[in-house]
Amino acid sequence: MTGERPLTLVLLEMTLLVLLGPLVTGTIQKLKALLQCRQGAGILQPYHDIIKLLRKGTVQADTTSGFFRSIPVVVLAATVAAGALVPVVRAGPPAFPLGDALMLLGLLALARFLTAVGAFDAGGAFGGMGASREMTIAPLVEPVLMMVVFSTAVAAGTTELGALAAHRGASWIFAWRAADFLGFAAMLVLLPAETGRIPVDNPDTHLELTMLHEGMLLEHSGPGLGCMMLASHTRQIVTLGLVSALFFPVGLADGAGVTGLLLGAGAFAAKILVLATWLALVESSYAKLRFFRVPQYLGIGFVCALTALALRIL
Amino acid sequence: MINFATNQELLLTGTLLMAACYGAGALSSLLAWWSGRLALGMGHLAALAGAVVGLGVSLGVLLGDPGRTLTQPLPVLFPFARLSLSVDGLSAYFLLVISLVAVAAAIYGPAYLRAHSPDAGPARQAAQAVALNVFLGCMAFVCCAGDALTFMLCWEGMTLASYVLVVSDDRDGENARAGLLYMVMAHGGMALLLVAFLALTERAGAFDFAALRAAAGGLDGATRTTLFFLALGGFATKAGVVPLHVWLPRAHPAAPSHVSALMSGVMLKVAIYGILRFAFDLLAPAAEPLPSSWGWTVLVVGTTSAVLGVLYALQQHDLKRLLAFHSVENIGIILIGVGLAMILWRREVAGGALATVALTAALLHTVNHAAFKGLLFLGAGSVLCRTHVRNMEELGGLARRMPWTAGLFLLGAVAISALPPLNGFVSEWLTFQALLDGASHFRGPAGLGIVFSAAMLALTGGLAAACFAKAFGVTFLGRPRTPHAEHATEAPPSMIAGMVWLGAVCVALGVAPGYAMRLLDAPTAELLHGPGASAVVTARGPLVLSAAALTPSGTDATAISMTMVAALIIALTAMAWVLRRGLRRAPQRGAPTWTCGMGPTARFDYTATAFAKPLRLVFATLYHLRREVIRETAGTPYVVRRIHYTGEVMDLAETQIYHRVERGISGLSQAIRARSTGRIHGYIAFVLGALFVALLLFGVGQR
Repeated sequence: MTGERPLTLVLLEMTLLVLLGPLVTGTIQKLKALLQCRQGAGILQPYHDIIKLLRKGTVQADTTSGFFRSIPVVVLAATVAAGALVPVVRAGPPAFPLGDALMLLGLLALARFLTAVGAFDAGGAFGGMGASREMTIAPLVEPVLMMVVFSTAVAAGTTELGALAAHRGASWIFAWRAADFLGFAAMLVLLPAETGRIPVDNPDTHLELTMLHEGMLLEHSGPGLGCMMLASHTRQIVTLGLVSALFFPVGLADGAGVTGLLLGAGAFAAKILVLATWLALVESSYAKLRFFRVPQYLGIGFVCALTALALRIL
Repeated sequence: MINFATNQELLLTGTLLMAACYGAGALSSLLAWWSGRLALGMGHLAALAGAVVGLGVSLGVLLGDPGRTLTQPLPVLFPFARLSLSVDGLSAYFLLVISLVAVAAAIYGPAYLRAHSPDAGPARQAAQAVALNVFLGCMAFVCCAGDALTFMLCWEGMTLASYVLVVSDDRDGENARAGLLYMVMAHGGMALLLVAFLALTERAGAFDFAALRAAAGGLDGATRTTLFFLALGGFATKAGVVPLHVWLPRAHPAAPSHVSALMSGVMLKVAIYGILRFAFDLLAPAAEPLPSSWGWTVLVVGTTSAVLGVLYALQQHDLKRLLAFHSVENIGIILIGVGLAMILWRREVAGGALATVALTAALLHTVNHAAFKGLLFLGAGSVLCRTHVRNMEELGGLARRMPWTAGLFLLGAVAISALPPLNGFVSEWLTFQALLDGASHFRGPAGLGIVFSAAMLALTGGLAAACFAKAFGVTFLGRPRTPHAEHATEAPPSMIAGMVWLGAVCVALGVAPGYAMRLLDAPTAELLHGPGASAVVTARGPLVLSAAALTPSGTDATAISMTMVAALIIALTAMAWVLRRGLRRAPQRGAPTWTCGMGPTARFDYTATAFAKPLRLVFATLYHLRREVIRETAGTPYVVRRIHYTGEVMDLAETQIYHRVERGISGLSQAIRARSTGRIHGYIAFVLGALFVALLLFGVGQR
């Protein structure tokens, strides 16, 4: 059993996640470009985009209400708060309890709910359409995601991610059972859906036939859009962090030593890179699914998760 | 600290004072001879006084010495039964729930009724004042009843008073039909309850609960289970559990909105009180676990209600009806906790902490649902009284016109969607923890069933969020779609005050739920004879919620701190606000929304029907879709003049069960009618034949 993570470390990890979020997106874009034999933009491009947006003025739809301005703020805050719940460099529960995996999913759901609400405000059809599609996919993804969390939590007896990672410990790969493989398979199916990528969503397009998440952002502009972009980068790295905490807690430091923490950070970067490569590979090798085929696609995840859970419990 | 004797005196006086307040409120309707508005005002004032006293009494009992029961004999009305009141922890807790919402409803009511139907005559106002007070009083005293007769009398009074309120504002006969269905269903349930109670009182020879408890001790297993299922049927009808819920989405929206808030937020909870009272107290075997069929039935029924309730809610476009379906969902969530507690009780290896967590989750969700559903119904009422429209397709753009109502409705929407940092999340989190730990406790098929229920609960939460994104977005945001919505103004201050009260309860229970656990100590400890809620859930201090001491191996229990997370969110919001303001001063301007080059009108707004369409297709098997498209063409099929679209989602319970029953009954009566020739000989022969068969059966049974 490893020690507890002090709060300063938790906040540091959270900041690290927010700062690295755009880098992951940039890396995935670069990988995709290379896979498609393109040069592609540099991996720092998302940072430039956000800074550019933060320096811009705002054009706001004249039908919007007072809520519209504050929605990017709360969405960003909720997403970043979810980042505080992921163990990045060290395993173990936080010194003062914050939240568990359910809280993390809840905070992400809060961000999504508010984004969808904001999409209605401008009174355009695109926003509503994006919100409708997003809120159709979300309730189908969430239970499966929770079942994956449950399948690991039942073994560890806790849903707190730090403690869960600590429980798995360093011998993770040798201790993997069939349930872990199935749960991980379910997670791999869910990852594109949760991060808004092909085959479920397409982050690169603003064509109304294909967009889910982007449709909801159409009416945001300037710093507000910057906040929303930062929130979706953060959301992506938080989801990847959740996967690595659930399935690959390797490299998370035991002690408080600086070398341990650095090692942990390096291991985290490697894990995220592997998962990002997976996302880039999937995005480059599949077409986007027709919207009403997505529930069937998620059904694969559901079956894997349910089997994992059954194996764990029976 | 006052010594116990005087304290108890004080609380008993409070209970009677509460009765006096509600009675005075009912009598104040006599003022209607003079002025209807005065009667209405005084009636609500008295109700407010009663509710405040009720709050005081319940807090006094819950925070006082544990394990004490207040009892107060009542005047002898019937020679065969002693009536009494008895307030223990469970009663006091439900009294607290009732009073919390009643305070808001009493503040909100007068202004709402005046604004909603300014042309109401004094007779209607008097009826509403009487019925509201009788309704509140009866609900309070169902929970405080110390004997079966008081319980049933108040139960019936509750039904009748709420019926009067449902039909009190009838414009087109729709409400009268809803009321009739409500009456029939409520009395069907009442009949089941009567059988259960009479079977017990007959054995006990007395009506008070202590005697019933003693009589139930000698029951054999089959009788006990039969009685439980009778009672469960009766209470489930009142609680609106699928498939007994068909009356609920019709009757609740028909009542005035603050009464809808009471019916949905509170009256259903009285049925939960009944289930808990029967299962854990009256019918519970002395030192054994409850029969496993009880808990599993409740768990399955609860899960079904939760999922189907939210699925049907998603397809409603009538704002109040949507909220009523969400009550079905939330009752389901409460029953998941109750069922799990029934399964786990006395089956755990040590301590009994897990059953406590499950029951705590259920009871916490009871008060949480009362708060946010009350808030949402009051918000819907504000919209209704300013626009006179319940169909959300005809609303829109209200957030600019009614900012307070919109903000408070959004608060309620976040809470009911079980999103942190508000109260809905807390009770669902506890339910999840209890389910998860229950599953790892049982393992095997039972564990898998429990975990499946958890997955369904997750689905419910996600669908609720989708539903409320729709309800809030379509009603309050975008452009107004009709002149009703266009000319709406903010609700009067007293109505907002009622909503703010419930909103504050939602925030307080969300951000600092640990402090509320103290209130749950008495009911959980008394019902389960185990550790109290705060000993289990807030073992690590009031700021931390933990499912402590749960895991058999003593590994880390999960702990969260709503307070810390809320503080973190607030701090991060402040920081994000700085980002939102931009890195430098840049121009800000407004512009019309881009609508592909056409002039933006309200018809560009996404409608509720369109929003819910994908989920309607995904879950089509559960919906029994009916749609009708009529095209008006001009001569050739290629020139379409106009398209009429009507779509409807049929309730599966209605089409599969009730319509069949209805057809069966009418078929049977048709057949009887065909045999009824009107000749008296035939009837006499039939009666004699029936008597003969009955005697024959009796004789066989005797031997």
